[in-house]
Amino acid sequence: MSVLTILGKVLIFPGLLFTLLAALWLAGLDRKLVARMQRRVGPPLLQPWYDYLKCCGKETIIPRKANRTVFLAAPALGLASIFVTAMLIPVGGVSIFSGSADLVVILYLLTFASVMLIIGSAASGSPFAGVGLSREMVAMISYELPFVLVMLAVGRAAGDGFCLAGVTFSLADLCAWQSANGPMIFRWSLLPAAIAMLFIIPCEVGQQPFDIDEAETEICEGVLAEYSGRPLGQFKMMHVIKMYVMSSLFCAMFLHIETGFLLADVVIHLVLCTLVCFVSMSLPHAITARFKVEQIFRFYWTTVTALAAVSLILVWCGV
Amino acid sequence: MENLPILAIMTLFMGAFLNSLLGRRSRKVGNTVVFIAMALALGMMLALIRPVFFEGRTICYWMGGWAPDAGWAYGIGLEVDALSLFFGLIVTIAVMVSGVYSFTYMARDDSQVNFYTLFLMLSGAVLGLVLSGDLFNVYVMVEIMTFSAVALTAFRNDYDGALEGAFKYLVVGSIGSTSLLVGTILVYANLHTLNMAQIAQLAPSHMNATMVTAFAFLFVGFATKAFLFPFQPLAADAHAVAPASISLMISGVLTKCGVYGIIRLTYDLFQNISESTVSYLVTGFGMVTMFICVTMAFNQHNFKRLLAFHSISQVGYVITAVGLGTPLGLSAGLYHAINHTLFKGLLFLVAGAVQHETGSLDLDDLGGLSKNMPRTTALFLIGAASISGLPPFNGFASKWMIYQALFEKAGSTGNFFYILACVVALLTSVLTLASFIKVTQSVFFGQRRAKYADVKECPAAMRLPMWILAIFCVVLGLFPEQFGNWFLRPAAGAALNAEAYAAQMLGGSTAAAGAAEYTLIGAWQPIVWLLLLVLVCCAMTIVAVSGRRSEPEPLAEPDVEDEQVLPENAKYEPFFSGEESHYSQVGGSDLFWGFKENLKKYFSFWHDWHSGIVNDYALYGVLCLAAVLCYCAVFL
Repeated sequence: MSVLTILGKVLIFPGLLFTLLAALWLAGLDRKLVARMQRRVGPPLLQPWYDYLKCCGKETIIPRKANRTVFLAAPALGLASIFVTAMLIPVGGVSIFSGSADLVVILYLLTFASVMLIIGSAASGSPFAGVGLSREMVAMISYELPFVLVMLAVGRAAGDGFCLAGVTFSLADLCAWQSANGPMIFRWSLLPAAIAMLFIIPCEVGQQPFDIDEAETEICEGVLAEYSGRPLGQFKMMHVIKMYVMSSLFCAMFLHIETGFLLADVVIHLVLCTLVCFVSMSLPHAITARFKVEQIFRFYWTTVTALAAVSLILVWCGV
Repeated sequence: MENLPILAIMTLFMGAFLNSLLGRRSRKVGNTVVFIAMALALGMMLALIRPVFFEGRTICYWMGGWAPDAGWAYGIGLEVDALSLFFGLIVTIAVMVSGVYSFTYMARDDSQVNFYTLFLMLSGAVLGLVLSGDLFNVYVMVEIMTFSAVALTAFRNDYDGALEGAFKYLVVGSIGSTSLLVGTILVYANLHTLNMAQIAQLAPSHMNATMVTAFAFLFVGFATKAFLFPFQPLAADAHAVAPASISLMISGVLTKCGVYGIIRLTYDLFQNISESTVSYLVTGFGMVTMFICVTMAFNQHNFKRLLAFHSISQVGYVITAVGLGTPLGLSAGLYHAINHTLFKGLLFLVAGAVQHETGSLDLDDLGGLSKNMPRTTALFLIGAASISGLPPFNGFASKWMIYQALFEKAGSTGNFFYILACVVALLTSVLTLASFIKVTQSVFFGQRRAKYADVKECPAAMRLPMWILAIFCVVLGLFPEQFGNWFLRPAAGAALNAEAYAAQMLGGSTAAAGAAEYTLIGAWQPIVWLLLLVLVCCAMTIVAVSGRRSEPEPLAEPDVEDEQVLPENAKYEPFFSGEESHYSQVGGSDLFWGFKENLKKYFSFWHDWHSGIVNDYALYGVLCLAAVLCYCAVFL
């Protein structure tokens, strides 16, 4: 593969540009849909992009108590890591990098992005950020356990008798398996895992009913309390891209459909992403109020973990 | 070449004696002696790398020339194969770093001559332990090691709890040592030899009830030295009061002796790690240790106590991987073992630096130090990222290998137990991360109290050892393939090939042990990712710079009054309107409130379990021994 091809992949499709456009589409649509469900008109579709531009135009204020370097570097690093995550997820069968353990790398990169949010807010020195980051951390602990179980279940389902260790963490393998045997979600033993994953998505993204770390009305946007200007824009952008990355990951894990035509595949992928985004993020956002910290933890470590564990055990027993 | 191992051990012991002779008058002379002893020992270990790792030789040395006669080993021998040397390198590097750090860190203490004498005794004993080819000598070295460690723990005996911590360590540590001695006696009674090579030759064919008992005793003895569950309270108490450089030794080196002992015991002496029952035992111990210790760390308010629990939790990872009995598992365990020494050492030294400058280790009291100690903060972040397993640091590379080893074992045996272990390991990793965020927030970021406004950066002489460890953390994370080829494969191969281990020492054959063969399921290529991350960062910076209008400037220097707005004990007071935090409905003062609130029962159970009473801890130790004995009696 020539350098130009790689560059094209990284920068245009399915890299930066495509990710950005798809993410803006999802985020804009999400806001519009939520607004419509709440009988509001809602912002224009490009509102997330306008928000970002506006943030970039504003003055960046660095609090006196902040550690300047960390405060400014954290958003950029977080955004970079989330972009890299996007590059690992195949779109219509095309991915920039396919290792043989994408899922674990993705898990770590997503964690890295969350950690950057936490470290950045810690560096701001604000007590509101302190409370926000503690909540973000509890949320992270909450969803990570079921997330790991879901990965193991899916990895086992595709890897059983297919690869050496009996478990695969390669998204390319998962896609190949789904092309041969139909989407993962149609295997009934994996249905609970898929439902669990649908619950994990909004919490990982930090979307409305699970946005305890920001919680404007209680702790003044918590982790983002002290941010302004460009770094704030970067964190907002990170949130937007996370929405796409998580929906896209769900599609790659459970709903991979391949027709053979790249364009058709990409369109199908986008439609499915939109669907996932609607079901897992917009709908709960529109109809539920914010959870409490301890409720989130209890919910994820009981209900969601149980769903994922049921799938894992079923798959392990060969059902 | 054959003399180097014994010379290295002797250098350290001689250094201890010379230091107490010459160092009493002038500390400069004493420190020079200490430095030379450490440097010589390290140099000798480095000189052995070439023959042992690259040429595949095993260095055998018989004390006084008492070579084996007619296949029976009478004399005391040293056998340095790749596994021993691997641990020997860990030990000497850690000793070097810890010693250099101590020169500045301990400068304000009195009776330093005693400190360095004990320190070198400890170092020599640990090195002797890992290089020894004789089971009884292992016991002797464990005794010297334990007693010097106990004395060093209580070295700053004006600290609250220093004597108490040392006393607990002494009592419960003795249970471990006794257990080792009993195991050794049983082995000797049964096989009539103490030479480890010969035991390796005879033990598998002479397994009977006595030998099974001996195995259980030896296993618990080494588990005590590694502070596995239920011995972890000792480590916590000892670390909290010991000087930071000694904490490095206890966590980076002493626990490694336990790990080394368990590897030798199960892979070479009894060669029973391939039996699933032994594998369950070892991996189970690792799993339980890993999880309980990481959750206990959530409750801590003392910087070093928290690090102590994490230290044991990471040793749990190592033991979990070692218990798999596969080449990949053992290599992953060894990799994590050396990484653990590096990042944990770094973190303890950072804690020491904070203590040196502020005089406090209280997480509730410290805060906002990143402005005063920016370099120490950077070092801490490297250490924290490494232990939490964030890419591209070394913790990620080795944990990654551990997960792969666990999947591989689960896949090949079809056993759900290993999947459970894998889930626990991944969860522990997240909890570790969360816990280190707490430290970051409470010590280096967040609110700074007025009394810490004048804290200075720690001296460069203390930062140098920390940078060395930090650089190792990054390098080992970036080149796992090369490190694996050069060091891990030969070391794991040496442990896995018990026949060669026995034959080399007894002169039966000179066949080399060979390297362990394993394939990584997914080759992690950190360089690629690092480049990519840098690339994207650059791209974004360019975008950001081009779209920027004005240089972001921090506001003007704070007024003195403004700095005083918060009351003296303020960290989260804005939320409590001046009320005591436990009267408040907001769980903000505790970073893990949401987590702990739901697991109240779990946390209160373990809180009560760690009663702090030495009788209880001794009882747990004996109960553990009894449980392992029963397990071995039933299943082996």
